[in-house]
Amino acid sequence: MTEIQLLDTAAAASALTAVPGSARGFLGVDPVTQNHALLVRELTRLGAQVFRTGDTLLGYLPNEVQPRQAYVASTSPDPEPLRGFLDFLGTYQRCTSFVALVPADSPPVVALRDCGFTQVGTLREHRYQSGAYQDVSVYFVRGEDTCRS
Amino acid sequence: MPFVTVRHLTEAEIPIRTALMRESRFQANLTDYAVVTGDDTLTERQRLGITEEYHIKRHFTLCGPREEVVGFAWITSIDWRSQCCELSFGILPRFRGAFGATAVAAAHTFVRTELNMRVVVNQVLEHNTMLVSSENLAAQRRVRCDYDSYTVGQWRTACYWSENEQDAQAQRSQVEDRRAAVAERIRAMSLRAQ
Repeated sequence: MTEIQLLDTAAAASALTAVPGSARGFLGVDPVTQNHALLVRELTRLGAQVFRTGDTLLGYLPNEVQPRQAYVASTSPDPEPLRGFLDFLGTYQRCTSFVALVPADSPPVVALRDCGFTQVGTLREHRYQSGAYQDVSVYFVRGEDTCRS
Repeated sequence: MPFVTVRHLTEAEIPIRTALMRESRFQANLTDYAVVTGDDTLTERQRLGITEEYHIKRHFTLCGPREEVVGFAWITSIDWRSQCCELSFGILPRFRGAFGATAVAAAHTFVRTELNMRVVVNQVLEHNTMLVSSENLAAQRRVRCDYDSYTVGQWRTACYWSENEQDAQAQRSQVEDRRAAVAERIRAMSLRAQ
């Protein structure tokens, strides 16, 4: 498994700020509209963790009402970092299912599909970006159904 | 056409902004409190604006095509529910001619397209014709407020007006028309010179 490094919250905010275009909607935060301090505040409030593997940032947010389920996020369309991350969360957080909320047709969708996620819903006009209300796609996969390498 | 991008003000840029706040035209056109306020206090106030007060104000840096800082914008009086705010600017002196109008347009676009503000309130002191001519100021203002501000030893009259999306679109069209007219004049002059 590629090394997965947990970032502290300030480092996570800096890392997301460095790739604002691909981090929009990452676990619900947005480096274009939220400055570093606000990103730190939001990630802390959510209880989110951000990891780095290579150039890819990966996000983990436990579902408080179902602790075996995690919300996940990635900044990359490359499925390999996400695949390793799902294994990691299965191993270290005992996650058995994963949910991802991503802006419709954003690059991480490619990675999600390749890792076995299926689109289970659409939150219509759920976020505002670039002058328009945009749909957010809801993806789901069981841990046993992820396409492990 | 200069290209300007908008991003969040960082703590590292506070000294540049502080220097701008002490520049003579900034003092006259916006506020002169920086002249009688120490560096430490100014720095701390701006730092608090970045780190704590993002619900009531947002500070932005306006950058040129090579990422150089050309000025700053900030929004205040934010009503997130009603999607309304006041937008202010300060452009560094050496960039005013080249980037002033474009920087202002970029900030307006950003608050509309990314922060989802529907109404932007403008306040310009009447003597300040750097970005809006006296004629345009008189035509656009909806409120003229005597004794609005006291800067650099004088009472200043302020003009206020609001802009919704339709107003902003009309402004963009006017700018585009003026740009096309200038381009046409240059083209005609070039042809005559040949």
